[in-house]
Amino acid sequence: MKHKKTRNVPEERITPKELREKGVSSILDKIRRVKGYYLTNTERDLSQSDFKNRIMPHTQLLVAKQRNEAGYFSIEISGGASVHVDLLRCQINPLEKLQVLSSDMPDTLFQNLCRGVNLFGYRPYPENVVRLTVRSFAPYIHVWRVFDFLNYVPNMIPVLEEVKAAGCILEPSICFSTGPEHTDEYYVKKVGEILRVTGSEVILCIKNHSGLGTPKRIGNLVKSIMRGYPELIIHYHGHNTDGADVGRIVEAVRNGAKIVDAADHAFVGFYGPPPILTVVDILEDYGFKAVSLNRQAVIDTSNELRTQREYYKDFESQFLGFDPTVQTHKLPGGAMGSSFEQAVKGGFLHRMPEILQNELPRVQVELGNWWSVTPGSQILWTTAVNNLLKNARYKEVSDDLKNLMLGKYGDFPFYRPADEIYRTVFGPAWKHILSRDGGCQKIENIDLEIEKKVLERHLGRQATQDELVLYLQHPNDVVRFFKFEKKYGKTWVLPPNIWFKRGGFNLGDKFEFTDAFGKQHSLEIGHQRKTKTGDAVTYIVVDHNPEPVLTELEQEGEQIRRRVVLTQKELESLAKSGDIRSPLAGTVSEIPIAEGNEVSAGQILIVLEAMKMLNKVVSEINGKVTEILVSPGDKIDVGDPLILIKKD
Amino acid sequence: MVKKARNIRKVLIANRGEIALRILRTVKELGMGAIAVYEKPDSEAYYIRAADEAILIGDGPRRDYLDVEKIIWAAHKGDADAIHPGYGFLSENPDLSAECERAGLIFVGPPPHVIRNLGNKVMAREIAKKAKCPSIAGTEDLAQGEEGIEQSIAFGKQHGYPLMLKASAGGGGRGIRKIQNREELIEQLPMARSEALSAFGNDNVYIEKMIENPRHVEIQILADQHGHIFHLGSRDCSIQRRHQKILEIAPADLPAVVLNAMYKCAIETAKAAGYINAGTVEFLVDPKTHNFWFMEMNTRLQVEHTVTEELTGVDIVRAQIRIAEGYPLNIPKERVRLLGKAIQVRINAEDPKNNFMPEGGKQVEVYRSPGGLGVRLDGAVYQGYTIPTDYDSLMVKMTIRGYNWEQTLQRLKRSLNDFLIVGPKTTIPFYRAICEEHDFKAGKFDTSYIETHPEIFAYSEEEREVAKLSRLIAEIHAKKTNPYAY
Repeated sequence: MKHKKTRNVPEERITPKELREKGVSSILDKIRRVKGYYLTNTERDLSQSDFKNRIMPHTQLLVAKQRNEAGYFSIEISGGASVHVDLLRCQINPLEKLQVLSSDMPDTLFQNLCRGVNLFGYRPYPENVVRLTVRSFAPYIHVWRVFDFLNYVPNMIPVLEEVKAAGCILEPSICFSTGPEHTDEYYVKKVGEILRVTGSEVILCIKNHSGLGTPKRIGNLVKSIMRGYPELIIHYHGHNTDGADVGRIVEAVRNGAKIVDAADHAFVGFYGPPPILTVVDILEDYGFKAVSLNRQAVIDTSNELRTQREYYKDFESQFLGFDPTVQTHKLPGGAMGSSFEQAVKGGFLHRMPEILQNELPRVQVELGNWWSVTPGSQILWTTAVNNLLKNARYKEVSDDLKNLMLGKYGDFPFYRPADEIYRTVFGPAWKHILSRDGGCQKIENIDLEIEKKVLERHLGRQATQDELVLYLQHPNDVVRFFKFEKKYGKTWVLPPNIWFKRGGFNLGDKFEFTDAFGKQHSLEIGHQRKTKTGDAVTYIVVDHNPEPVLTELEQEGEQIRRRVVLTQKELESLAKSGDIRSPLAGTVSEIPIAEGNEVSAGQILIVLEAMKMLNKVVSEINGKVTEILVSPGDKIDVGDPLILIKKD
Repeated sequence: MVKKARNIRKVLIANRGEIALRILRTVKELGMGAIAVYEKPDSEAYYIRAADEAILIGDGPRRDYLDVEKIIWAAHKGDADAIHPGYGFLSENPDLSAECERAGLIFVGPPPHVIRNLGNKVMAREIAKKAKCPSIAGTEDLAQGEEGIEQSIAFGKQHGYPLMLKASAGGGGRGIRKIQNREELIEQLPMARSEALSAFGNDNVYIEKMIENPRHVEIQILADQHGHIFHLGSRDCSIQRRHQKILEIAPADLPAVVLNAMYKCAIETAKAAGYINAGTVEFLVDPKTHNFWFMEMNTRLQVEHTVTEELTGVDIVRAQIRIAEGYPLNIPKERVRLLGKAIQVRINAEDPKNNFMPEGGKQVEVYRSPGGLGVRLDGAVYQGYTIPTDYDSLMVKMTIRGYNWEQTLQRLKRSLNDFLIVGPKTTIPFYRAICEEHDFKAGKFDTSYIETHPEIFAYSEEEREVAKLSRLIAEIHAKKTNPYAY
């Protein structure tokens, strides 16, 4: 990796160079000694909470210089859902993104958010995958914020060990929520539990992913922890869903937090972090200085960003505005936008008040009042939505909820759901199932050599270790991404006005850009014609020479055939005749059967993924599979034909 | 023998593709009229547009270009007074030369008996022997039946194996078999005969001692009607695939004493044959001892004449026409330079990785050629051109000249990198790989080069990054949304 020349930086500033040369302990001592507090620019969480993770590398590169000069403790630029969305929608290799950005931001620590054993995904990975993944990201990520949605410390251990071994700054988190069980004593005890595993050379993160509690509550929490562990560096992370996060940040700092999260004001929305300078100005009045912060660089960043925000309009939440009722429904900021999007797509937007204010809070209490954060937030949300839409509570719940209730993801922190819920979910034999299958799940290591060979077969070439790591996170999506990249190149160089263009370009529109290999190009849109087969040929003047470029178009007939709206009843009756249609809009995850197989009623035919949850479709009949119409990774809509079965 | 010079007004070019265009250019430079002929599948060909007049001679393919009668008819129809045959097709058919004589047309090439004598490999060897030119031990045309087999077995016993079994009427690398031992000889002889009959209309075959992995070096000759014969130096054509030349270099990297001996042989052979016009004497050269043997003499313009032109500054087609008109050669020796190096690569629409399978039927979507000092292009391709399925797959010949081997190679590499052809697969990346190969860079190669260097086939065919990005932008445009972003 190429490092640009490091500028002269103020003494309090912490740089990757210093971390490399002096090590973690020296950096932590410096933070402890300094008067004032540091800021983390939480760009990743801003993008996730208010722009569905779509802020493109082009925009990030546009302000890389200004952000580098701003003097943040760190910029959170990876992790969370961003790794998946980078591959899925931004079409960039998440590791390459880090490499490209870091060469333009050489003086700034990069931070990520890691879901412990779930890494950047939604369910636990084998330990060897966890360790390998940390090793691939460690060269770019200097600060690792690690959490578990049940605050179950054993789930974090492999990541914690690898981060330490890689010489990175470790930031284990306590997830925060409210309610009678969520006392200061509980959290102080939890901090002790973590420190016993990690030792004292860490930063502790208070992860307030839903922006819960009042400023006073947060101030007290910080005070209590500081009382128990006076040398501990606390990093407060919050969301501004209710509009009060600035207050919480101020109280956190006044009570001893040394690092806080905020974001660039030109892109601030409602569910992510609040604006940096607002925090800075208020705290200044209280006598707390933002250490090493270059105020003008923060302003310059936003001045540049303002021109870009219009391109991201489509990704802002369907509902704009603060939501103080978050104190009741507790949806994490990172899930607000996507929840409303699902409500629109699923046609239940009008029922959102019921879901958010009644069903979701009820489900939370019933299931144990743990933390509404990935993947727990998806489990709570899906369960609440299903309860309401199916008009029957806890019927046909997701596998993830079942696993959770069996304790496979870790111990319930406070209490387990009531017996009646177990009975509804598992049937009358629930006690037997619980005693037979219950307990924390140990996931066997997988054979990495075999996985690599499978990936290489998909790619038709050798794969690197980093490519294998990405593949192990999201196999179908990564294979699809590599095929995309081979066909379309490194498209992250394109500005958002091209990338998000709707309605086609105008004849004569001209673009100039530099490709990922440093070559300058100009492209001009020329005429378009239809081929005999109905495909389109666009003439593009590429570097002053016209070139015909073919686009294969899905024919109109095919589109019409896909758009058949079927009711749930119709789907069921089709399934009974052997015509298996998709009951939901999502992605094909797995097909455990093959054409020609004999299947029996109740057997799993296909696993679909929607709202990050897996859904099994089981056979209604006995018969023989005659045709499989989809493959893993395919996008599907409600009513799309999946599998044909010939009835016995 | 010496006739009075007769000026040509109009030349009919009895050929197609790049060579038709090459000849047209010189004909126009001489202020003469240029008539092209074409078979129907060539209706869209570029050379037709460059001619003053184009005459359709039939539906083809590869039938009418070979029809002496039709060519003579077209010459009359177009009021031509001369015919240039180019290479291939009728160029080495003595009948066209003879029919021209009969019809009062000037044939830009040797007289019919010269073509006939040198076209017979056994007779050609006799001529070379008369000129005291070392030739490879070989038989005359083998007798038919048992007698021929006995004859050849005796030859094998005397000279040792391996041997080459060759069709007397063959050429251009066709009709050659390698024979390892006596059993193979007995087995292959009847097969070679029937193959020769169907390919060349003549079942005569003969045997030669085989020189293993020789270099292939040839001497360009010009001979006028006044008894002047001289050479334009040598060409090394060792790099071949299945006996087909693909890359040619002038001059051959050989000691001056060896080259001088070859020049002398070539001139004496041409003299002994009563040669007139441009011709090429081909030799096999032992890479270690530099011993050389006469192989054959080609009685036409060669595909690779360009390297000689670039090196010497002599327009060979112009010389051919002047000779045919009856003018004495007046190219002063001091004007013929033999400095530097020239390389020609044949850029074919073929997939080298798939056994050089031609890409007939594919359309050239993008065509951008290189330029600059020392870069010459002889082509017939344009953006939108469809690679013919009925004719050969040669798209363009690129001839590079430089001061020395190293500079010429650097220029070749640069020009290959600047070449952009989208649509059909081409031999361009294959040549790029050759440019990077160690032995080639060191100038060490013989006719076994391609089979002994499989690594030159392991090139990558990565598309241009900008082409990939254009594909996406076209898709966003055509679909009116970016399906990969939403």
